[in-house]
Amino acid sequence: MTQPLLEVQDLHTVFSTKEGWVKAVDGVSFELHPGETLGIVGESGCGKSVTALSIMRLQRPGLIKSGHVMFKGDDLTKATEDEMRDVRGKEIAMIFQDPMTSLNPVFRTGWQVAEPLRLHHGWNAKKSLTSAINMLGRVGIPSATERAEDYPHQFSGGMRQRVMIAMGLTTTPEVLIADEPTTALDVTIQAQILDLLRHVNQEFGTATILITHNLGVVAGMCKRIIVMYAGRIVEAGPTADVFAHPKHPYTWALLRSIPRLDAERHEPLKPIEGLPPNLVDLPGGCAFHPRCAFKIEKCSRDVPALQRVGDTQLSACWVTQAGTELKGA
Amino acid sequence: MIGPSRVAELDMPGAAIEGSSTRPAQSYWNESWERLRANRIGIMAGALIVVFALIAVLAPVFSAVLTHYEPQTIDLSKTFSPPGSGHLLGSDELGRDTLTRLIWGARVTLGVALLTVAVSLTVGTAVGMMAGYYGGWFDDVLMRLVDTVLAIPAIFLFILMSILFKPTPVSLALIIASVGWGQVARLVRGEVLSVKQRDFILATRSIGARHLRLMARHLLPNVLPVLIVAASLGVGQIILIEAALDFLGLGIQPPTASWGNMLTNAESYFFHSVWLVYFPGVMIFVTVLASNVFGNAIRDAFDPRLK
Amino acid sequence: MLAKYVARRFFASIVVVLGVTLITLVLMDRTRGTYVPGIDLNPALRPEDIARLRADLGLDRPFYIWYITWIWGVLHGDFGRSMIDGSTVMSHILDRLPNTLELTGTAILIGVLISIPVGVIGALRHGSKTDHTMTVVSVAGFAVPQFWMGLILILIFSVTLEQHGLPWLPSSGAYSAVNGGDFIDRVEHLILPATVLSFFYTSTWSRFIRSSMLEVLSQDYIRTARAKGMSERRVVYLHGLRNALIPLVTLIGLELPGLVSGGLVVEVVFGWPGIGKLAFERALQYDYTTVMGVTFFATMLVIAGNLLADLLYGVLDPRIRFA
Repeated sequence: MTQPLLEVQDLHTVFSTKEGWVKAVDGVSFELHPGETLGIVGESGCGKSVTALSIMRLQRPGLIKSGHVMFKGDDLTKATEDEMRDVRGKEIAMIFQDPMTSLNPVFRTGWQVAEPLRLHHGWNAKKSLTSAINMLGRVGIPSATERAEDYPHQFSGGMRQRVMIAMGLTTTPEVLIADEPTTALDVTIQAQILDLLRHVNQEFGTATILITHNLGVVAGMCKRIIVMYAGRIVEAGPTADVFAHPKHPYTWALLRSIPRLDAERHEPLKPIEGLPPNLVDLPGGCAFHPRCAFKIEKCSRDVPALQRVGDTQLSACWVTQAGTELKGA
Repeated sequence: MIGPSRVAELDMPGAAIEGSSTRPAQSYWNESWERLRANRIGIMAGALIVVFALIAVLAPVFSAVLTHYEPQTIDLSKTFSPPGSGHLLGSDELGRDTLTRLIWGARVTLGVALLTVAVSLTVGTAVGMMAGYYGGWFDDVLMRLVDTVLAIPAIFLFILMSILFKPTPVSLALIIASVGWGQVARLVRGEVLSVKQRDFILATRSIGARHLRLMARHLLPNVLPVLIVAASLGVGQIILIEAALDFLGLGIQPPTASWGNMLTNAESYFFHSVWLVYFPGVMIFVTVLASNVFGNAIRDAFDPRLK
Repeated sequence: MLAKYVARRFFASIVVVLGVTLITLVLMDRTRGTYVPGIDLNPALRPEDIARLRADLGLDRPFYIWYITWIWGVLHGDFGRSMIDGSTVMSHILDRLPNTLELTGTAILIGVLISIPVGVIGALRHGSKTDHTMTVVSVAGFAVPQFWMGLILILIFSVTLEQHGLPWLPSSGAYSAVNGGDFIDRVEHLILPATVLSFFYTSTWSRFIRSSMLEVLSQDYIRTARAKGMSERRVVYLHGLRNALIPLVTLIGLELPGLVSGGLVVEVVFGWPGIGKLAFERALQYDYTTVMGVTFFATMLVIAGNLLADLLYGVLDPRIRFA
């Protein structure tokens, strides 16, 4: 196994609210290897975005309470703000969910795409713009030289997401974090953007963290996935194994709630019962137990740790850790 | 312009679904009221205004009990008495009691402000609603009129009209309202245009409700939050305008006391009777401050997104 | 496209200008009664003299004839002569305009220079003690009557300081009549009125910039900017302020008419020989032509201000297209 490029260790990020502290990220650990594409899956509010923002130390107003983010030997949680600026946009780039609002409306697109080059490499306007136009072309923006003069509102949603990706790639970062990059887009455009991300991963060798609530997206993109629920990782493992034999009832329920082409017979889709948990007032024990079809008495009492279940997977579930297979009506 | 014109978006998904009721949902008013009650400074400011209003309404009682003077009683033997014995807040160049005149001045100031707001809102709402509801050339004509009224430098208009109509509290209120209605009309028209497009209005129209009924029963309640906010934020500005006109000699005329006209000759007291400069100004300042703070509280309560 | 837009706005403005001047004239006409401007200068006038004067001034004609004549003159650049002293209205305006521009221009400049940093700091540290203090000051700034603030400043910085034999600031006029008029003298006269006026602008605009900035800083593109590794200063002052200032331009554009009328009360309090004071005095004397001229001028400024604000908005915000 190669040395991990990025290693998140027992990360805790909290937010202060009127009702008290919210543990948005509650003890998350994972590794990202060079060139790999890792999927992080979960419902909205499960902490997947905050995890990504915490890696970049952009979780404000949240607070990283404890844990480490090791990147190429340095702990980013201990880096100074100046050191962080050298990481952001240079070594770790991030693209966001809504390309409509993530670009500054008052600056020309080319200028914005070129900005990281001016910031991090100190290039002048002309040189950085040439490079930016080149990158815009490579992410599939036709007549990039002319389009670089346009403002963001003159682009379609899919094109804007391409611009965001180009902006992230100008400085050839080692890690690209894509936070729900396709959620705000039309279905046909989604496929194009995912193709582009796959292509980027292969061509540039950029390690990618793909954050999504859509299991269909990770299935085609990621070798390895992490499933999060209520600020914790509940399951992790190779995508194929997790899909074939989920080791956590939440993953199991998620998979049953989406249509699958490879289903053996036409089973009715089963939505997950109940509501996502209130982070301010989490249920005791396993946070998923009120919605869980397999719960045993222990689940409402003790919080299960993430442990190896089966050959390749990790799961935080008392039931599967005891050897029970998840099967059901 | 920046004002509460976006209020309509906020309402009230319940309203359209219920069908029978097209008013802002009851919970909207309850929640607004709860938010207002939670704003302690806002409530204090509101309470202060209530106190001033009581003083204004009960001015005869207050001056009889507290000061034993009439506001226009001249006593040339006791001119420019300093604050203290005899005259709590001193007396002016004609020996009139300052405190008494301040108490009676509250009547004028608050009365004019209230009347101005009432007239501006009534006229502005009627015009704005008709313009927005009927649209077309009717809208064009009314809005050009509003443009014109708002394009006249207001202070010139006030000056000319004060010369034309001998200012009494009522005519002064009408003069100030002659500009104030324009802004209200613009605001209401914008609201109506957005409310008009919503399903329940279309539905009500399709069953043949009469125009007037539709406006009064269905549009007005939806415009109400905007009006409340506009009114509460407008009071302070109106008091300032009124005071300035009084000060310039264009508003309430002596011997009737108003906080503004008590300052008209202030410059001649600088050397010996400074209290005559302080007290009326402080009253104006405190009243306007309280109404602005209360107005902000109202806005925050009724339209939290504008905070 | 743009030319078409400006042209359409221009024609819409003509309606407004005609409306405003007509309203002004009708008001003056109703106000005047049988008063003849300048009559109090010469009480010995006989009735036939008065009739001749009225005929000379065109006051014997119905107001609409007078109005048409006036408009005809304006179209030829002739605003007529003052009914009080016979000099041209244009010369009155040109005489007072520099003083007014000196006062309001200074006040607006100070307002912009103070309110931008104050607003930005308030937004960046919102909820802090600094923010609360600045909020309190600006809320007070809304509430204090300008004329009274002027009186108090005169009381403190002119009267009291002089009484104690300290250096004091002049309280009236734009320059000293005797041995005055140099730069220092003008600045001394400017300080108090400009303070009053700019305090008002600063209060309004700093609140505005603060809320505008708060809204901008919560936008996704600010997060993007941070994710690109910019310094917080660049994030705030380049990506943030550039967006937050767009609405401020509108606000200042709408303040343009204030260049003439906004300072009226302050001009009266400080005896500042500006256009506002001119209009105030001449309206009291029923000087038709002068009041009409100033009103016309002020209305043009309102319209120009609105148009300028809209055009600048289009320059600053690429999303705006004129149609």
